[in-house]
Amino acid sequence: MKLKPATLRTFTSVHSWMGLIAGFALFVAFYAGAITVFHHALQQWATPSDHAAPATLDDAQHLLDEVLARHPEARNHVGMTFPGYELPQPTAYWQDRHGTWLFATPGQLAGSPTPPGASLPELVNALHYTLGIPVAGTWLMGIVSLLYGIALVSGVVIHLPRMAKDLFALRPGRNRKRFWQDAHNVIGVLSLPFHIVFAVTGALLCLLLVLMLALNPLIYEGKLMGASAAAMDTAPVVQAAGSAEPLSSLANWHARSIAVAHGQGIANFTPGYLKLAHAGDAHAVVEITGTSPRGLGAGAVALDAGSGALLATQLPGSRDANHATLAAVYALHFGDYGNAAVQWLYCLLGLGGAALFYFGNLLWIESRRKRGGAAQRPGAMLMARATVGICLGVCVAVSAAFVAAQVLPALGWDAAAGERWVCFGTWLACVLWTAWRPPLRAAQELLWLAAIVTALIPLAHGLATGGWIGRSVAAGHGALAAVDISALVMAIGFAALARATSRRRRHVATNSVWA
Amino acid sequence: MPPRPWRTRLDVGLTLMGARASAGVVAGFFLAAAVVGLTSWSLPGAWESTIVPGLLAFFPLWIGVICAAMRFNTGRQAWTWLGALALSGLGLLWLLQAAGWVR
Repeated sequence: MKLKPATLRTFTSVHSWMGLIAGFALFVAFYAGAITVFHHALQQWATPSDHAAPATLDDAQHLLDEVLARHPEARNHVGMTFPGYELPQPTAYWQDRHGTWLFATPGQLAGSPTPPGASLPELVNALHYTLGIPVAGTWLMGIVSLLYGIALVSGVVIHLPRMAKDLFALRPGRNRKRFWQDAHNVIGVLSLPFHIVFAVTGALLCLLLVLMLALNPLIYEGKLMGASAAAMDTAPVVQAAGSAEPLSSLANWHARSIAVAHGQGIANFTPGYLKLAHAGDAHAVVEITGTSPRGLGAGAVALDAGSGALLATQLPGSRDANHATLAAVYALHFGDYGNAAVQWLYCLLGLGGAALFYFGNLLWIESRRKRGGAAQRPGAMLMARATVGICLGVCVAVSAAFVAAQVLPALGWDAAAGERWVCFGTWLACVLWTAWRPPLRAAQELLWLAAIVTALIPLAHGLATGGWIGRSVAAGHGALAAVDISALVMAIGFAALARATSRRRRHVATNSVWA
Repeated sequence: MPPRPWRTRLDVGLTLMGARASAGVVAGFFLAAAVVGLTSWSLPGAWESTIVPGLLAFFPLWIGVICAAMRFNTGRQAWTWLGALALSGLGLLWLLQAAGWVR
């Protein structure tokens, strides 16, 4: 395809500007996202005493009964995870009169605003979808997703004339910029479908409510909000009847949902969580959401909570367009379909995406680096410092939070608050350190630091809980061993990058931005 | 317009890009909304049955219009074309909705 030179120039500068504005946020989102793919394993890894057998349905029934008896607000709407869904214990959650979400477990029936389970997976997840910024962070990441989409389109347009010819070109040698450019192009093109999925689903997940508010008067005659519950939930929206009727049992709902799914040709439906509305009323409705090994995304069965009669289903294979699209968005974004191979693929593509943004910034800086004795432009210098400090700094910070998640509870300190301090404090320290050092030197130092801190993760785990790699493997705790082994592999990777940076420092002109 | 030598080429380039980009972002938002609305309401079945696919399709449409806006030669052209398309699209949708010809 031939493009006008003017068009090519425009799209090159669009691509650069999108990269400059959104690249840092995307690096953090992809690095933290690649880790958060394994949040189940992380949850186990960061919860020392939780290797007990999962609770039973009877325990969950007891939890539900107690929550409904003690908390009248929960009778309107209450959600509950089945044992073994996120945690071995079931968790009930509801909103109090002020709209605050409260969580209860069999061991803690009074309800608490702090969700049960370890705080580390939630911290990594918060970095992924908000950069750790409360409230506005979600919208910020939604806008970043849009800029990312624009960068993808403009990047493909720039690369289009040479795409087929250069696809497998990776030219090492004297011209380092050519090598970085090749690496950026090949990662970008080969993982393009993955990136398109993330730009679109990321934007939808972050901006859904804002977009609905904006489009409601424009194209939906102001009727969107009333129609959205039917489009996104499975259970029909009903008013309370005002007359009392006892609930059927949890075991009955559980068995009914599996039987209904089986009747629709879905074998091995595993209920994950339920939503119960109007508990104790004649119009009580329960919606049970679950997954099946061969379905893309979750499916749901809605039952009359008293009689157990079937009200509605949205199961894989028979969903309507709204529910099928929503389930596909969730499944494709979270990578929770298929088996562990899919999750490893998501993790590798996520790390590859982070590398794509890092290489992209290097290219921008390198193409503006002045050779000879001239002083560097302040803009290029600032970008070099920010790229090193923010991107490599977050790698150090996440590893430091992992170490803190093991060390702080062992010392008897509050893990949730401590991890945040350690994570954001380390990140800030790395950024400040880079502001003070020559960028290439700082890159080398932060990479060595990342290698050391990441290598400390399995050590901290072993010292704090006795969960050494060999012992985890012998006890059959595959997930625990996998987290520790992955940390070691990442540490080796950081060390290799640090060595490569040292080599570059020896060869590069002393007046470069990097020196 | 007389030449203004004190402005660098970069400034001029940014201003030109800014005008086209703003056309893509603002007028493009309404154009993408009109396309989603017309499709969702004129497909067979009620508009409610395509809410989520419509909301999902909105983002790639908007991104596409923003990128397409960069291919106009000037910001004025981009604003004129995209603005006219958006207004006529939304106008047509509101007309069809008011007349009850789509649901």
